[in-house]
Amino acid sequence: MTPVNLRVRGLSKSFGGVRALDGVDLTVPMGQVHALLGHNGAGKSTLIKCLGGAFPPDAGTIEVGGTSYTRLSPRESIDAGVAIIFQTLSVVDALSVTENIFLGQEWTRYGRIDRRAQEEVAAGLLERVAASCSPRDRVGELPMGQRQLVEIAKALSRSAAVLVLDEPTAALSTAESAALAERVEDLRTQGLAIVYVTHLLSEVERLADAVTVLRDGRVTHRSVGAGQTRRELVEAIAGRPTRAPQVTQVTGGVPAQVPGSGGGADESAACEGGAGGSAASGGGAGGSAASGGGRVSGRTTAEPPASTAASGAPAHPSGRPRLTVDGLHGPGFGPVSLTVAEGERVGLFGLIGSGRTRILESLYGARRAVGGTVSVGDRTVTPARPAEALAAGIALVPADRRRQGLFPLLGAQDNALLPSVRHLARAGIRARGAEHRVFGALAEAVGLRPARPRLPAAAFSGGNQQKLVLGRWIHEARSVDVLLLDEPTQGVDVGARQEIYEVVTALAADRGTAVLFASSDPEEVVALADRCLIVAEGRIAGELSGPGLTEEALLSAIHDAEPAPDPGTQHTASAPAPSPASASAEGAA
Amino acid sequence: MTAADSVLTRPRLVASGGLTTLRRQPLIVVLGVMVAAFQLSTGSFLDPANLRGIATDAATLAIVAVPSALLVISGYLDLSVGSTLALGGLVGGWLAGQGQSPVVAVLGALAAGAAVGAVNGVLCCYFGLSAFIVTLGMLTAVRGLAQQLFPLPLSGFGTGFAWLGGARIAGLAAPVVVAALVLAAGALFLALTPAGRHVFAIGVNREAAHLSGIDVRRTPFALFVITGVAAALAGAIKASVLDSVVAGTSGSGFELAVLTAVLVGGVALTGGSGSILGVLLGVLFLGCLQNGLTLLDVPTFWQQMAQGSALVAGAALAYFAPRAAR
Repeated sequence: MTPVNLRVRGLSKSFGGVRALDGVDLTVPMGQVHALLGHNGAGKSTLIKCLGGAFPPDAGTIEVGGTSYTRLSPRESIDAGVAIIFQTLSVVDALSVTENIFLGQEWTRYGRIDRRAQEEVAAGLLERVAASCSPRDRVGELPMGQRQLVEIAKALSRSAAVLVLDEPTAALSTAESAALAERVEDLRTQGLAIVYVTHLLSEVERLADAVTVLRDGRVTHRSVGAGQTRRELVEAIAGRPTRAPQVTQVTGGVPAQVPGSGGGADESAACEGGAGGSAASGGGAGGSAASGGGRVSGRTTAEPPASTAASGAPAHPSGRPRLTVDGLHGPGFGPVSLTVAEGERVGLFGLIGSGRTRILESLYGARRAVGGTVSVGDRTVTPARPAEALAAGIALVPADRRRQGLFPLLGAQDNALLPSVRHLARAGIRARGAEHRVFGALAEAVGLRPARPRLPAAAFSGGNQQKLVLGRWIHEARSVDVLLLDEPTQGVDVGARQEIYEVVTALAADRGTAVLFASSDPEEVVALADRCLIVAEGRIAGELSGPGLTEEALLSAIHDAEPAPDPGTQHTASAPAPSPASASAEGAA
Repeated sequence: MTAADSVLTRPRLVASGGLTTLRRQPLIVVLGVMVAAFQLSTGSFLDPANLRGIATDAATLAIVAVPSALLVISGYLDLSVGSTLALGGLVGGWLAGQGQSPVVAVLGALAAGAAVGAVNGVLCCYFGLSAFIVTLGMLTAVRGLAQQLFPLPLSGFGTGFAWLGGARIAGLAAPVVVAALVLAAGALFLALTPAGRHVFAIGVNREAAHLSGIDVRRTPFALFVITGVAAALAGAIKASVLDSVVAGTSGSGFELAVLTAVLVGGVALTGGSGSILGVLLGVLFLGCLQNGLTLLDVPTFWQQMAQGSALVAGAALAYFAPRAAR
């Protein structure tokens, strides 16, 4: 019997009445890669954070290397040998690779940092993870894949026995992903217990020795060895049996047909972007679904009420373009051309750093575009500032709610109505009666709970905070023509996510609002989009719509859309905007 | 929406029930206790003549503290007001001494203050420089400019100019009336105008405000200009009251008194919260403290220690007191 390195038993954690984890068991022995699957909000992050000591669990035990804990502090977690590599890396850009590895545990000699000894050890660690960077490189200048390896090297330097990787390939190119997979296999043979969080079933097949699937905080599937099929996993993730006839193993070029998915009327619109070469393989609506070989239709895994509601009436009957973007380009993105019709919901799907956020921000005037035009209806607007975009009827719900969206200290009403106070005012004096009325209607429309206008926004749950930010642009005093959403349900619980989808869907259907949203979650794209554009390297690299718009097709499309590894472009592509958050930090600077 | 829900958007000055106000402004209790203690120990603290003296002294502080507080709420601050006050007094006094009409003299002073405020505003709001650094630099630079322009003390401004500091309007000294108007304007601005709400939004989260289409530069810029104007007005009032100005010493340390009043009054240095009622209380607190200690013949150094300790105590109170809903 191999000694068990990580054993979680009966772990439970609630947030304000919502059970994020409900009696979760997880056992990962040494030398095992254990895949952890589940939709956003299924409890994966909560589980990881309990392991890392960020949250104390309500019940259950965490056993690491033979010692059992009912709760861990971050320090205890590190000392016990748990290392967590989060999607948003915690390396310090301004420091060198060596300084990062030894941060907080510097080696000193006569009271001074022993630089040479540190660099020697760092070089050894970098070799162990097969990183190509030098110990003296500044981390901020490295591509994402290398930064991740630096963080793994840092974990190894603290003699980590349990390595948790949180969607490690989400921000990586295909080549980097393949390299990472090899590293993970190396680390497995070195005896680490590895928890590998992912959305990608192909990674599970390639790497995992065992699989645990979470759904709504419970374990819905557990298997060891290669016994599980994709269908079993998809069912466990989705929480309901997939209907057999729709789950077709595709071996040729015909995508799985799914009834009630809005028809393929706009497939002719395919691939409008100026992407060429390898990008074309991701284009062409249905075809790409099959381009990756045997695929399971993921359509049935996520058919929320939202899309069912929309399928009653055609989502965009008129086909009249409401938003037209022509050749928009700027630093790190474009040229981008696209149209969104009245009442149409279009997704922008791509990896982190692919340029989705840059495209949305430049459409909104929050980031300066160098050239190209943006039109609303027949009017060319090309906003240079958010205020101009809003005047033209374009609004953005930004990705980083805390930093870019919310006024945490201010009350709910202020949060939702601040941009509109001036519109409601009469003769320069605020119309408080009207403000109350509009807020009341808005709170009901988005399902705000609690609907208390004075409660500070910081006191609301993530989902209700998002409803406040979204509510800004969809109340009676402020109805926009084009709604841009960046990661519309990031940090939003499952229930609120569904409500937000319903609000957005209703908005498009009832008021003809053109919706353009960026997402890195294939489930979300399938749930919310009529049509999806694949974004890679700041350009539109393909399009999926109709029955071809499935989770699996999306995932294979982004990997197909990645160009052949080219150190030069790879570097420039990832360096300026490693994540939406830091990308906009530069914009604000 | 119930009546209770509407309190948020009501002007803070006339806010809700007394208990809520007390919970938000514990300074009221402190002020009351302090006034009672001074009255008991001096016996003359509450005499009308003394109260008038306190009001007149506090008036210039209040005139500058109101726009300064608005700046702090919007996430900026102005440390240059002490020197701007000196420049305003000098320009106004000089013009009056040259035989210009008092109106021209005051307008000249205000123009000088507006110029200083505009420089601060452009550098901080449009060029995005740190307000702390810019206004700290301006504090020194404007003091130097004032001394260069007016190396000799000025005095003898004439009866017309003396009206500004000495006139009585309905039994109140003119500076007190001006201060009352400034306080009322500040409170109404925050409560009634869209820009008043924007000030909070910019202070809480400037980027979110920008992305909400709020002009995050114009409003703070205007506040810098208004703060400069207010400081110059306070300088003209002081010059009028004293009938003399000295470039090297006038208003020295005033910027710290203003900031102390603003912060003791519960305005958060991090921006996004505060009220004009709090500023009024902060100004009165400092005014009463100084006056009472002077009546008790407490040496100046001890008075300074008391003022400084009050600021720290106020910060501690704000930190430890349970955070009231905002």
